[in-house]
Amino acid sequence: MKKRLLIANRGEIAIRIIRSAHKLGITSVVLQSDKEPDALYLKYANEIIQAKDANDEKPIFLNATKIVDFALAHQIDLVHPGYGFLSENPDFAALCEESGINFIGPSPELIRNMGIKTIAKKMAIETGLPLVPGSEGAVVDAQVAKAFADKIGYPVILKASAGGGGRGMRIVEKPDAMERLFKSAYDEAVNAFGNGDIFIEKYLQNPKHLEFQILGDKHGNIIHLGERECSLQRKHQKVVEEAPSASITPEMRNQMGEMAVKFAKAIGYFSVGTIEYILDEDGSFYFMEMNTRIQVEHPVTEMVTHVDLVDWQIKVALGEELTLQQSDIQLNGWAIECRINTEDPQNRFSPQTGFIEKIHFPRGKGIRIETGVQNGSVVTPYFDSMISKIIVRADSREEVIEKTLKALNEFNLVGLKSTAPFCRLVLQDPDFVSAQYTTRWVDQKYTPEMLENDEEELIGALAATIIYAKEYLQIASNSTVYDDESLNMWVLNKRIN
Amino acid sequence: MGTSYVYRRDASRLFIALRENGKRYKIYIPTDAKPVIDNEEQDINFIDHIDSQYYFNFNDKQFNCELVSRDQNKITIKVNGVEYKFSMESIFSYVRHGMIDKDAKQINANNIESPMPGKIVDIFLAEGDLVNEGEPILSLEAMKMQNEITATCNGVIQKIHVVAGQSVMKDELLVEVNAIDV
Repeated sequence: MKKRLLIANRGEIAIRIIRSAHKLGITSVVLQSDKEPDALYLKYANEIIQAKDANDEKPIFLNATKIVDFALAHQIDLVHPGYGFLSENPDFAALCEESGINFIGPSPELIRNMGIKTIAKKMAIETGLPLVPGSEGAVVDAQVAKAFADKIGYPVILKASAGGGGRGMRIVEKPDAMERLFKSAYDEAVNAFGNGDIFIEKYLQNPKHLEFQILGDKHGNIIHLGERECSLQRKHQKVVEEAPSASITPEMRNQMGEMAVKFAKAIGYFSVGTIEYILDEDGSFYFMEMNTRIQVEHPVTEMVTHVDLVDWQIKVALGEELTLQQSDIQLNGWAIECRINTEDPQNRFSPQTGFIEKIHFPRGKGIRIETGVQNGSVVTPYFDSMISKIIVRADSREEVIEKTLKALNEFNLVGLKSTAPFCRLVLQDPDFVSAQYTTRWVDQKYTPEMLENDEEELIGALAATIIYAKEYLQIASNSTVYDDESLNMWVLNKRIN
Repeated sequence: MGTSYVYRRDASRLFIALRENGKRYKIYIPTDAKPVIDNEEQDINFIDHIDSQYYFNFNDKQFNCELVSRDQNKITIKVNGVEYKFSMESIFSYVRHGMIDKDAKQINANNIESPMPGKIVDIFLAEGDLVNEGEPILSLEAMKMQNEITATCNGVIQKIHVVAGQSVMKDELLVEVNAIDV
């Protein structure tokens, strides 16, 4: 009998998982949330479960017990959590296991350990992964933090042990700011995660974010698939990612990759996973954390390795043995991913909600589109603003930058603003082109005015004039505007009436 | 001068688009040619128009425009995903506003006075017309010679004080012109 896979997620990743499931001959089942009943992913699945979450406290994708109940009622064999939501929630993984459902991901214990940064770091030290100088475990209060910072030097960063996405994180530049910032980091951590453990470490001034993709099976085989550079972030979340990274040498790649594999082996890891490193200007690198899910930016790795990570994630969950060896992994060309978020880059990346009147994607060889929306979709305030990803591959970094720019120029979204113009700006910025960009680029270099250019302004002025003129000429004079023959108007033709 | 005038007659087709950052575009939309922006005919091709979307081609690039909001004369346009806000004025209202703080001398400097005594043979333009600098406004016969009297600036014909056939004195005010090179 065909296996049945329930996707505990939505949007583009749900569609991505459905694609792999169908390729592997697995029946796909998705959850229809009342918060988004017309979502695009529903059209791709073999079966839909109505989640009836209109009156629930949280959307179905965060409701572990309800998902498992549905899974049991619908004879589900496997659950894929996607990313975000419950993907790194050990209790959900455990609940699946206890209910006899195959959770696609590592063991609950691994998820739990990697989710608690102090534990993850302790395990990293044991396998010889370098760490940014910092406290071994949580610091009890601001005084202790201050004493520690005096020792390693300012600036330092305070981080919630259970944190993520920038929450519970504070940068302390000077000793006298410690008390205030420690308290706010602590409060935020308690509110967000129910855990106020704060640790402290040296704050690197110009860091880059590199991460290695790991793939392992349940039989002890583990390989890495090279790195991704994800230094381009806003609000600590990635916007543009590339693979490989232009910031490391092949020797560093081997070293960082081997250490990642060594670490994954030491902790008995299986499934896909990501080892995150922070890379300093001087080339030294430090272990940051391990993500135990499939990541948003996984396609750039797939584009340069030709390995389907989601296929393997499912096959590994089913107990299959990895047929790939490290030597099979060759990096072929260069790939860039641009996240299309419905956010306003001219206004602090504030989320935009509403109706997508029209969305047009670039097409072509080497261009891959992952989208959770189409013409007429509604972007709700209930879910993440990432609606689509444009992934482009070419033979070299220079070529892929150019090709991605072309693709972004072809992209058109009517109805909402998006990060597309921001991505376009990034790809043209000398810091990105020279691969000198760091995770601080947005904070240090970016201003919304950079999005503007003279040609667009001129055309904008023309469009505004046409719109204004149309009305003005009808009111102010009896001259016919652009309608009819009067205006061949360099073919502002008969469409305007 | 031939026919290479930047502006054709109809002043009601000339507009000012003003951005918040102070940048200003003077845009003339002729009925039968490409738009004139800041006195230059621009090689902009109009591709398509659907609802509030306008598509142009300029310098071999496509520009996707979308009307985002419209509040009286304030228009926000999204061009390739980036918003630009403009304050729109017709050239009449713009000149009117602009004149408030202009000194009178400068305004008078653009008016056309008769350089010599003579007779008006023909008037080529009408009140409200746009006129280009150097473009003939009327023809004046003096000493058996016909002289074309030309505009000293790009402007709008505000008022014509004479009619064809009328005799005029030297320095008599013939035509009032409001400059639009503001």
